[in-house]
Amino acid sequence: MTKQAAIKKAKKVKFAILDIHGVLTDLTLYYTDDGKKSEIYSLHDRLGCAALKEAGIEAAFLTSKVTRIDQYIGSIYKIDRLYGTSAKMSQLDEIEKELGLTDEEFCYVGDEIIDIGIMKRVGLAVAPADASTEAKAVADYITKTPGGRGVVRELAEFILRAQGKWDTVVEKLSKIGY
Amino acid sequence: MTSFKKDLNKAIEKAKRVKLVAQDVHGVLTNNTFFCDVEGRRQYSFLHQDGFGHLSFKRLGTEVAFLDTTSIDNEGLYRAQELKLESCYHRVKDKMAKLKELEKELGISPEEVCYVGCDITDLAIMKRVGLAVAPADAIDEVKKVADYVTTASGGRGVIRELCEFVLKAQGRWENWVEEVAKMGYK
Repeated sequence: MTKQAAIKKAKKVKFAILDIHGVLTDLTLYYTDDGKKSEIYSLHDRLGCAALKEAGIEAAFLTSKVTRIDQYIGSIYKIDRLYGTSAKMSQLDEIEKELGLTDEEFCYVGDEIIDIGIMKRVGLAVAPADASTEAKAVADYITKTPGGRGVVRELAEFILRAQGKWDTVVEKLSKIGY
Repeated sequence: MTSFKKDLNKAIEKAKRVKLVAQDVHGVLTNNTFFCDVEGRRQYSFLHQDGFGHLSFKRLGTEVAFLDTTSIDNEGLYRAQELKLESCYHRVKDKMAKLKELEKELGISPEEVCYVGCDITDLAIMKRVGLAVAPADAIDEVKKVADYVTTASGGRGVIRELCEFVLKAQGRWENWVEEVAKMGYK
């Protein structure tokens, strides 16, 4: 896939679906000795989500199971839709039906085998730099950033530049904060 | 990480005039990441050595200010409190407006301001101030407009490195090192 082809696909994107683990995180799980788990996230992605929203592109999380950490991150990143299912394709069907959107108007970011089906379907399939070989093979765009270090930030810039909205969004966010 | 060629002598000339060091918090004092646990508690990591940089500036009469837009929590404030820095502007919506206010308050010109930033919301300020500094892992657009790019990445000693650079340019480093070695700096 050439960059030009990916840009062409990015122009049509109206909705971004993000896998959480391996995309928003680097897949590492930290446990304390009292059994509490934490995961590490990047504030770059908070900017990415804010930029997409500012440009009118909704973002949703789609992961096999929504945990409390995911809910906290969703509220920090101002994500209204958190879907917990491993049947990712039927979830896409439902969202399409609800919003009247088509496959090509979706961007999906995923890093593993479970994501390949949906990645083949959507308009713009994206994989982080350190995604599995299988996911990278079906991606239209592979970010330079690895999972957990600002994949959504890079993706937002890529889509919004393709759509000619980046500069306006940057100017706005610099004034109003996010 | 892309590297950009910078004119070091020009940066040194600019550093001589610095009276205020203002900086973004995340991506400069931290590596832009945070931990989130199952209770929703978040953790941020800062670096001890940057504190030496901050306190050195303060002790030698160079003002220090945090200009933060992205904080979810109060981590920047806590760090500032620990360092006894009065100027921590937290969750500022318009950083440029805040910086202009600060310049007025301190009676200094934009040429006397050093600003350290790492992302797009810092670009306008970086173009305005006397000495614009970016961490090694800042985004390319920011590094492009910076006068000086530190070898340290965000959260790994950017301010420590900047402190040495500015104080050396101002001819104050040697004396300061001697004083610290004798008396400490706290």
